[in-house]
Amino acid sequence: MNTLTCPTTRILVFFCTIAFAFTSCDSDKNEIDTEYPVVDTSAANAFPIQCSQVTRGQKIIFRAKFTDNTELGSYSLDIHHNFDHHTHSTEVNNCATEPVKKPVNPLLYINSVTIPVGQKSYEASQEILIPTDVDPGDYHFMIRLTDKEGWQTIKGLSIKVL
Amino acid sequence: MYQNKSNRLQTFCLLLFCFAIVTKGTAQTVRLSGSVISTGHKPLEGAIVTLYPCNASTTTDHGGNFFFNQIPKDTKFLTVHFYGYAYYEVQISLNKKEMVLAAIVLHPEIKELQEVIITDSYETHRKKETSLSIETVSSSFIQRNLGGSLMQSLQRIPGVKTISIGSGGSKPLIRGLSFNQVIVVENGIKHEGQQWGADHGLEIDQYAVNRVEIIKGPSSFIYGSDAIGGAVNIKPVPFPVKNTFGGSADFSGKSNNAQFGGSVNLFGRKEKWFFDTRLTAMDYGDYRVPTDTVQVYNYAVPLYKNHLRNTAGRELDWHGSGGYSSEKFKSVLYISNIYSKSGFFANAHGLEPRNVDTELHDKSSRDILMPFQEVTHTKISTTTSFQLGAHQLETQMGFQKNFRREYSHYVNHGYMPPVYPEGMYAPQDLERQYDKEVFSVAIKDEFSIQNHHLTVGLNGEQQQNEINGWSFLIPAFKQTNAGLFVYDKMQLSDQWLLHGAVRMDYGRIEMKQYTDWFPSEKTINELTTAEHLKRSSALTRTFKSFNWSTGVNYTPGQWSLKANLGTSFRMPIAKELASNGVNYHYFRFEKGNPDLAAERSYQLDLGMEWKSNKWSVQLSPFFNYFPNYIYLNPTSLHDIYYGAGNQVFEYEQSKVMRYGGELQVRYHFTPLFTGEILAEYLYSEQLSGSKKGYTLPFSPPASILFGLNYTPEIKNLSGTYFSIDYRYTAAQNQIVPPEKKTASSSVFNLAFGTKVKAGQQDFILSFQIQNLFNTKYLNHTSFYRLIELPEASRNIILSVKIPFLLLK
Repeated sequence: MNTLTCPTTRILVFFCTIAFAFTSCDSDKNEIDTEYPVVDTSAANAFPIQCSQVTRGQKIIFRAKFTDNTELGSYSLDIHHNFDHHTHSTEVNNCATEPVKKPVNPLLYINSVTIPVGQKSYEASQEILIPTDVDPGDYHFMIRLTDKEGWQTIKGLSIKVL
Repeated sequence: MYQNKSNRLQTFCLLLFCFAIVTKGTAQTVRLSGSVISTGHKPLEGAIVTLYPCNASTTTDHGGNFFFNQIPKDTKFLTVHFYGYAYYEVQISLNKKEMVLAAIVLHPEIKELQEVIITDSYETHRKKETSLSIETVSSSFIQRNLGGSLMQSLQRIPGVKTISIGSGGSKPLIRGLSFNQVIVVENGIKHEGQQWGADHGLEIDQYAVNRVEIIKGPSSFIYGSDAIGGAVNIKPVPFPVKNTFGGSADFSGKSNNAQFGGSVNLFGRKEKWFFDTRLTAMDYGDYRVPTDTVQVYNYAVPLYKNHLRNTAGRELDWHGSGGYSSEKFKSVLYISNIYSKSGFFANAHGLEPRNVDTELHDKSSRDILMPFQEVTHTKISTTTSFQLGAHQLETQMGFQKNFRREYSHYVNHGYMPPVYPEGMYAPQDLERQYDKEVFSVAIKDEFSIQNHHLTVGLNGEQQQNEINGWSFLIPAFKQTNAGLFVYDKMQLSDQWLLHGAVRMDYGRIEMKQYTDWFPSEKTINELTTAEHLKRSSALTRTFKSFNWSTGVNYTPGQWSLKANLGTSFRMPIAKELASNGVNYHYFRFEKGNPDLAAERSYQLDLGMEWKSNKWSVQLSPFFNYFPNYIYLNPTSLHDIYYGAGNQVFEYEQSKVMRYGGELQVRYHFTPLFTGEILAEYLYSEQLSGSKKGYTLPFSPPASILFGLNYTPEIKNLSGTYFSIDYRYTAAQNQIVPPEKKTASSSVFNLAFGTKVKAGQQDFILSFQIQNLFNTKYLNHTSFYRLIELPEASRNIILSVKIPFLLLK
């Protein structure tokens, strides 16, 4: 009684046909991008790098090389204080930190730059003025780079404002 | 890519074909028939009748009748299972070619005591009368597969996954859809929490769950907006039987997070009045993972003794219900309060991965420090059903309050002041607060005209949402929903059942304006000004929707076939329309889109089930298309104000195609020894928009579970089982930013359980070892997947249930 009979086979064929219909309705398409963009601060003129020091009143120039396999999107820079030692950087080596302290007038810098369309490689350079009246101490320099598809790479550097 | 696709196809078809197996027939056969009735001489439909040792089973029809066409002559005994009734067993000897048994009378059981012997009779019955893909489990399934939360306990069901938040919280993920795309119904009322947040668990006490029905697919025509991806329907606990007073006590312990907990239940009933109460408490420590370092994005975080820092928690729930039940009138009032407090992994919360005071955090694995969440969910509802001529009416009224607070140290970002100002409207550590109050009413009328069984329903809901805290993600809002539906179930013959439903919905959402409490520096044409930025504008949107669903069930002999085609919809939620802030769990800036249209879905569901005495095979494929799926798209932009340079994610709509299915195969090697294969597969693809070609976030990878179950008869013990599950989860290479590809994994679980009788007292024991080999693996749909956090290490779970009857 348990032998598969003719209607059973028909039902199976019916379901398989549907399964085939499901799986074969994809159209040919290009491969999707699953690669992250790259932040390269290894060049000799790259600035800042881990443990860099900047002086108040100084104009610094942020320099880094960005690359992506398809197309770069935009990057943002964010400098915020690390007086409470809340962050640690993405880098392997740690920098010497000052004792924990309360912020009074910490330096704050947030900026975002859209990279021109169609670039796979981009030399970023951005002038940043360090005001004279900000609190000196440990800061965090965040670089966030996206590609056009929305993949993001974060680099967090520890710097010191003197 | 192409290679991938052809592999997918192969896997899919392999699954389809692997049940095309032929079993051999038996030589000497007999015909057997009989009927099953209740003590009140009512025929019982859907009772499961099983013969041993051949293990053939069938369900009773409308008249309570059953028959077996050709059964082996050596059949020794017959059992009957029916939900809510005592298990029945009788010895038979077959000496004739054709036998008619005397009517089998089933006795109703005291609810708690009978739970352990419930089999799948109710489930089978439900499956045969609905054209949607449906799974039903009872509390004994939950005890056997007990996880940290209700949804984790249900994960064994193919097509059902969770988005887990630590060890004590999770939300349902049905065929890859979750959040507001899956509705949870408790005691007939839609559960309204803050289901939009990935870090928000489901405020349900799993000990209080008696039976759960899971609809794997759109069910908007029953439940309205939000049921576009599926429904988890937690059925009310059955009323106690007349003149009883009893209860049960549950205790459970888990090794991984050193959890202990328990639940005590007391119920009673005189003739018509009854009550049911429950108290549940749980306390757990930080859970452990098989790694000593976690990569939070690019930041390496060392873990102390494998403990996931600050993931301890506790829960305290109480429930009470009382009511009146007579033949023609039933009314019950439910009140419950679920409270939970649990920590978030301390290093991965805030605006960026954080360094924490490890000395403070690692001192104790049981303390809950910052950041943590505290949620209280209060529910009051009443259900009344009565008969009015040929009409069976049911009314429901409910009130719910979900009060959620997330605490974290104040972290200034963007232009927020570096020191928290004095006299702020919110306490310094209150990062977020959501306060939701919901009123709902529903009325339903069921009646029959000839062979049409009609259900007409009307429901309405009004909710008010307030916010507080120093951060901002979504504005306060008011929302009103109303729906009207007609559902017709038409019995064409014993084998054919047709379904048709239409539903109309109206929804209105009214969002309030929100302005930053601090000024931000804005530079336009090199002129810098300080301005309080408006994060959300006052906005009112209304939505109307018309949906339909049609289906068929065909149940010839051992087969049960079904098909369903229908539309479903979902109104965009406040987060999708108006969010404009930082998600501190994912370090990203989320931006709503006020122009979103209501999400719409078309789905075809098929189901086939084939049962013989040794085999049971069930296949449920589906195809689903969304012309305007609401999707949180990662853009290439960064927010330079409140977002402090974080990446902007913006809500968009795109065309989405999804298909997949589940396969369940059961084979009885012997009556005591069963093998099981549970497999699931899902593919989703965005067909338009900026992520064309990509999948959807949280797409569960294909997986297959092989289970062996041995149920020996041991003296003085009953319901004994030993089982081993091996789950292979395929790699997930279909990803969308910011997800990462997840490697395949192999995980083993062991389980053992039995019922011991000591004097008159039963003890129901269950024992589990999850992740037997302490495998380090990643779960693609875990809340913490993005930070490369492996799943929990080996976990030994012991639970005991002690049912008692003080008066009968």
